[in-house]
Amino acid sequence: MIAPHRLSVKFFFEELSIDVESFIPVFHRWIRENVVPNELLLDVADYKHIVDGPAILLVGLEADYVVDLTDAKPGLLYVRKRDAGSDLSDALGTTLSQALNGVKLTETDVELKGKLKLRTDAAMIVLLDRLNYPNSANGDGAAATAAQTQLSDDLAPLFGDDATVTRVDNDAREPLTFELHAPSAPDVDALLGQLGSVG
Amino acid sequence: MSNIGWKDVLADEMSDDLAHEIDIFEGQMELMGQGKLDEKVFAETRLRRGVYGQRYDNGQRHDGFESRELDFEEKERIKGPDTLWHAPGMQRIKVPGGGLTADQLDVLAQVADEYSDGILHVTTRQDFQLHFVHIEDTPDMMRRLASVGITTREACGNSVRNVTCCHLAGVCQTEVFDATPYSEAYAQFLLGHDDVQDFGRKFKPAFSGCEAEACGLVMMHDMGYLAQIREVDGKPKRGFKVFVGGGLGTVPHQAKVLSEFTPEEEILPQTQAVARVFARLGEKRNRNRARIKFLVAKLGIEEFRRLVDEERKTLPHDDRWTAYLDTLPHYEEKPTRPPTFLNGQVHSSEFNQWLETNVYAQRQEGYSVVTVNLPLGDLTSQQTWELADIARKYVGDNVRTTVEQNIVLRWVSDSDLPSLYEELKAIGLGDPGAGTIVDITACPGTDTCKLGIASSRGLAGELRTRLTVKSASLPDAIKDLKIKISGCFNSCGQHHVSDIGFFGNSRRSGNFKMPHFQVILGGKWRDNAGSYGLAVGAVPSKTVPEVVDTITSRYVEERTKGETFQEWIGRIGKKEARNIIQPYMQLPAFEQQPEFFSDWGDPRVFSLGDIGIGECAGEVVSLFSMEISPAESEAFEAQIALDENDPARADDLAYSSMLKAARALVRTQFLDVGDSPDRIVQEFKSRFFDTELFFDQYAKGKFGQYLLDRHSNPNPNPDNDSAHRLIEEALLFIEATHACESRVGGNVLVEI
Ligand code: HEM
Ligand code: SF4
Repeated sequence: MIAPHRLSVKFFFEELSIDVESFIPVFHRWIRENVVPNELLLDVADYKHIVDGPAILLVGLEADYVVDLTDAKPGLLYVRKRDAGSDLSDALGTTLSQALNGVKLTETDVELKGKLKLRTDAAMIVLLDRLNYPNSANGDGAAATAAQTQLSDDLAPLFGDDATVTRVDNDAREPLTFELHAPSAPDVDALLGQLGSVG
Repeated sequence: MSNIGWKDVLADEMSDDLAHEIDIFEGQMELMGQGKLDEKVFAETRLRRGVYGQRYDNGQRHDGFESRELDFEEKERIKGPDTLWHAPGMQRIKVPGGGLTADQLDVLAQVADEYSDGILHVTTRQDFQLHFVHIEDTPDMMRRLASVGITTREACGNSVRNVTCCHLAGVCQTEVFDATPYSEAYAQFLLGHDDVQDFGRKFKPAFSGCEAEACGLVMMHDMGYLAQIREVDGKPKRGFKVFVGGGLGTVPHQAKVLSEFTPEEEILPQTQAVARVFARLGEKRNRNRARIKFLVAKLGIEEFRRLVDEERKTLPHDDRWTAYLDTLPHYEEKPTRPPTFLNGQVHSSEFNQWLETNVYAQRQEGYSVVTVNLPLGDLTSQQTWELADIARKYVGDNVRTTVEQNIVLRWVSDSDLPSLYEELKAIGLGDPGAGTIVDITACPGTDTCKLGIASSRGLAGELRTRLTVKSASLPDAIKDLKIKISGCFNSCGQHHVSDIGFFGNSRRSGNFKMPHFQVILGGKWRDNAGSYGLAVGAVPSKTVPEVVDTITSRYVEERTKGETFQEWIGRIGKKEARNIIQPYMQLPAFEQQPEFFSDWGDPRVFSLGDIGIGECAGEVVSLFSMEISPAESEAFEAQIALDENDPARADDLAYSSMLKAARALVRTQFLDVGDSPDRIVQEFKSRFFDTELFFDQYAKGKFGQYLLDRHSNPNPNPDNDSAHRLIEEALLFIEATHACESRVGGNVLVEI
């Protein structure tokens, strides 16, 4: 299946005992120290004035890292904007490993360590491509169903055979969205290892 | 793999004109990619499509310690002088008069999350901006916008920018009449008009329904229109008092009266005449003096008026000048619900507070305008489609953006106000305080603007948070003061016309630079931006919240009964005003207060290293260069059509590209050639072919003959071979046009 225009994965905070503002200096330091060598990090955008939205963004060329408060579910959202891969599986692999790398960077950051924890037993996956992956009402839903099967197949080896990928019943204007639920929370390093990322 | 793109999917939903323009832009991008377009021409071309540069797009960024190179790929690829192709940019989306439909909101929301960072930003001229957009995504984004009737054309560049209009027009208590349909007709008439393509600088028009309120801000615009009714032959006649040459920026000018009363049927031709005078006599080289305000000041308003009147007499008649007037009697907005009244019930104090500041009783009984107070002008994609649904439920398509970076819902039936409030609150858009001291205006500043010096948005966010906390206890006298902030002297945040305004600058302390804001006091928002404030001194950015407290406390203590803030500042004078802020003007050393050396919301040690070349002025390129470029793009499209085995289309495009090139050449001598192929060919023939100006030493008239032949002998059934030949001919013809222009150019003779 075709790689979506953009693909995002959000992992949710289990704990977050700091203000979102604290991410601003951290993200600036990440840019300075080039902590994600295979991506070009550009700038930090501060949207904390918006209620329930993407509060702080680390904007990059290939991807954005977002401390996202949408729907009152705080999490670290990784939005892959370009060069994700040649097809959906490929794009998912890239997006997931970079998102998990982001989780690891956040949890182990010198300033953030001990002040937050992200869970790996759930995630939200969004296909930001209304042309190729329209959401419900538009089209016959074939692309959505096929994408769901593909995501389930690709995620089972990582999150266990009992992991489920369910379609979020959102508005037709919203992008096609899935939720991943796993019976247990795999270790981030283990996941990265399986994905073949150095981490 | 699917090969179907938005272009195919939306083919039936876009108007032919918009669809074609976007294809041409895409072709120009392709040519730029191949290095076949001049960088300045391409920069101005994309600016005229609203595709703007953004901070760091020169590939440099200061990280707080040093300026570092950003490792973009293909650094040799550029999209304008010193602007890297792959660096993300800003897209401005034009919204004439701020008018939006619910369907347009839906699409704006969708393009924001697929192509930008999921945030829509309302600007101080009723537009939207999206940031961090990749240029490759812009054609599809434009197509999706075009499918709901939105164009980004001439949102930037040296052209007629968005035509603004009061957000209350049509429902306002004090207006003379509804200026909306006039502003719409005006915007449509000037969009892409031949006479607005050769300006040395941007041109911003505004419409207003009344004199005393602020909404239209006509006094600070290049051209402003104030609704008037006059008695003519015993009958009331509609028209406008017309202003010209206003503008903010480093040197703010109040507009001058061009005419006390221009009857409605004359406003379009008069503007066209102004445009011609500006194109002909306006400064082209020195961009700092190229706005029309400088021309008006240089010539004096009397001489300027005389020139415009002369020009008006020579304009060839155009039916469009008055055609729209016939539709005016039918112009009306439809509420979705019947009028009702809000009475009886007891409401929460929260609701009452919101009601007091965010709700305006319309002239039409039983209806109100609700202001959705957007923090810093921002809303998310999700909020945008949720707002679209709220609009559908309560007001239909009666939605507008405002120059204070908010959105209004018009025609809310009064008894719906409590439930509407609850629904807005549920999506995070129920903030009270619209139009009050907490509703701060700010330009993009150092967040995204290449010219930003200090963080206007960072400061606005900080002030908003602090003032909101104490808003309930603020004395009435200061609740309604306006704060407006620009990141530099260019005044995009309109700081000159606020009670308390700020613009970013910098001062040195020891070896370090410290972000500062110049304090501007006593500007007037009402009376259509009636007067500009006084600059009283610069204070460190980090002291601004205290400075605001100090100034407002002094005002509360000292004001006499009923004295406005402007009157108070006028009374105490500049010297005393400066004394008030004097204690904050001392600069601590870095070691004493290191936090003073970074800006709000940005922990990096402050530097000016990120300032780049702004694109506010666009590139001054010749009219010919701008007009020949679409011809090249069309010839390129013709080649693609041929590759796709569509000779008929290829033939048509190749012919059309020759016409465009010929037209560009003719217009170096004769602006009014119009669009008819016969006329273009006839003018080309008599001016360039018969005179042999077009001839070159070796080929003589051969290349010109290609156009003449194709025009008089179209091929009814072009096949691949004939189309291929015609494309070759078109390319040679376009080359010859370039050559001819450079031989004869520089000697441009404008005939009317
Ligand atoms: C020398 C360069 C510039 C000058 C002199 C300038 C001046 C102005 C002025 C005076 C206004 C507002 C008032 C009016 O309506 O006239 C304005 C609007 C605006 N400016 Fe600038 N500007 C410049 C460059 C920029 C740049 C580089 C940006 C960065 C994005 C920017 C962003 C804006 C925005 C968002 C608005 C509201 C405009 C709209 O929607 O059309 N400006 N500009
Ligand atoms: S005022 Fe200055 S910083 Fe703000 S948008 Fe305009 S040019 Fe940029």
